[in-house]
Amino acid sequence: MMQLLYLDPGSGSYLIQVIIAAALGALFYFKSAWNWIKSFFSKPKPETEEEEKNESTD
Amino acid sequence: MNQLINHHPASFRDPSGFIYEKDGTVYRFVSSVYQPHYELLQSSGLAPELIKQHLLLSFTEVNENHTRRTDWYKTLQPQPIPFISYAWEWSFEQLKDAALATLSICKASLKKGMILKDASHTNIQFVDGKAKLIDTLSFETYAEGESWIAYRQFCECFLNPLLLAAHKGLEAHKLLLSYPDGIPAQLTAQLLPFKTKLNPVVYLHVHLHAKLSGKKTVKETKPSKKVSLKNIEQIVQSLYDCIKGFSLPETTTTWNNYYEETILSANYLSEKKKLVSSFLEKMNYNTAIDLGANEGEFSLLCKKEALVVATDFDSTCINSFYTLLKKQKQKNILPLVADLTYPSPAMGWMNTERPAFFSRKKFDVGFALALIHHLAIAKNLSFDQLAQFFAESCNQLLIEFVPKEDPKVKEMLTWRKDIFETYTEEYFQTVFEKYFALKTKILVPGSVRVLYHFHQQQ
Repeated sequence: MMQLLYLDPGSGSYLIQVIIAAALGALFYFKSAWNWIKSFFSKPKPETEEEEKNESTD
Repeated sequence: MNQLINHHPASFRDPSGFIYEKDGTVYRFVSSVYQPHYELLQSSGLAPELIKQHLLLSFTEVNENHTRRTDWYKTLQPQPIPFISYAWEWSFEQLKDAALATLSICKASLKKGMILKDASHTNIQFVDGKAKLIDTLSFETYAEGESWIAYRQFCECFLNPLLLAAHKGLEAHKLLLSYPDGIPAQLTAQLLPFKTKLNPVVYLHVHLHAKLSGKKTVKETKPSKKVSLKNIEQIVQSLYDCIKGFSLPETTTTWNNYYEETILSANYLSEKKKLVSSFLEKMNYNTAIDLGANEGEFSLLCKKEALVVATDFDSTCINSFYTLLKKQKQKNILPLVADLTYPSPAMGWMNTERPAFFSRKKFDVGFALALIHHLAIAKNLSFDQLAQFFAESCNQLLIEFVPKEDPKVKEMLTWRKDIFETYTEEYFQTVFEKYFALKTKILVPGSVRVLYHFHQQQ
């Protein structure tokens, strides 16, 4: 990637992105899990309540 | 360099190509080193898609090598930009839209196997009312495992100034005049309130970023884990969602709601609008500049085919006007923050990269409505200085003379010594007639103010 060398790649930028990406990945995971849990409250179905309990205790 | 072309002074960083001017037309030289990226940009459908979505400035290919360089691959002719503006002239919502446009482009690029290698505000211009990427060569083929090279630049150019504006009420355009390459994470982290540390996304992109960027270990460590495409998509999406939710804290300045709250008399504004409209109807013009536009009441009277640049030093007014124009989908008016007594200077390498505000264009018509007393009395500028300035900025001038009997001028002189002996309508006209020819003048009903129409004899 010779062409990219004209840019200052930002020292440490790569590692920062690895760390931020990992943290964001976890954040997205919890967010989607939370949304999944919430979806059961908006549409309560007797058979899904058990799954919801399982998920929340994981 | 070839003598036949004018290499643009701001186009020297990227070896993939450069902008030049030939016979009054702007072209982009694309070097053969950019060929694989350009081919993917076109064959993936990314360029046509972004142009269709009004995110990328449209361009056409011209089959001619004006430069006679041997590494020539393509010549592109971009759509002309009616008026170049910079982030230090944009209001909050304009900078926010420029940021969201950059992220939308990056998201779309990742879907097509490409990525943005630059994410600077200087690559965005407002054309037809939309923030568009103007640099066609900012796209790079994405290889799995690579990080987003422009991530830090994006944070410094967009995220950090927007955060400081949203949380501290600081004016982003003023910050970017001091930090044209963007505001570093460490400075932003120091200035932001503690509560921003509780927002996980802001914590990661600013506070953690600031902490890590100074560390020696971070600079030298080669990470064992690689960044994946999904990781970059999450970084871009988190920035997008975060910025999308930004808004300015509610503030009242002297000038917003000026017309609603400080109307001199009930019919003054409507009568002035009628007069300005009748003057404009008789004029032949393609470009106009509204100086001291406030929330754009008078810029809106211009015909829709004309380019109108509406300036005010109050960024809250310009922000409201920009929001209104967006809502009304009016594309011909470009609102910009400009202080007439401190207009944007020439910036960049050798002062040639980003031209000074008033050196960019001479307009067909200039508006100076309810403005002269602020410049002559509050700023001590002489009629000679003002007339010379207007003569350099526009060919025709609609200017309102506000006499000393006017309640606003009386108010201004209440707390200061009246050193303005020559501030009379008669002297005003005499001086302005040295630079312009008087076409007509008329008293604005409901006030003691007089509207003048001057023009320069060609």
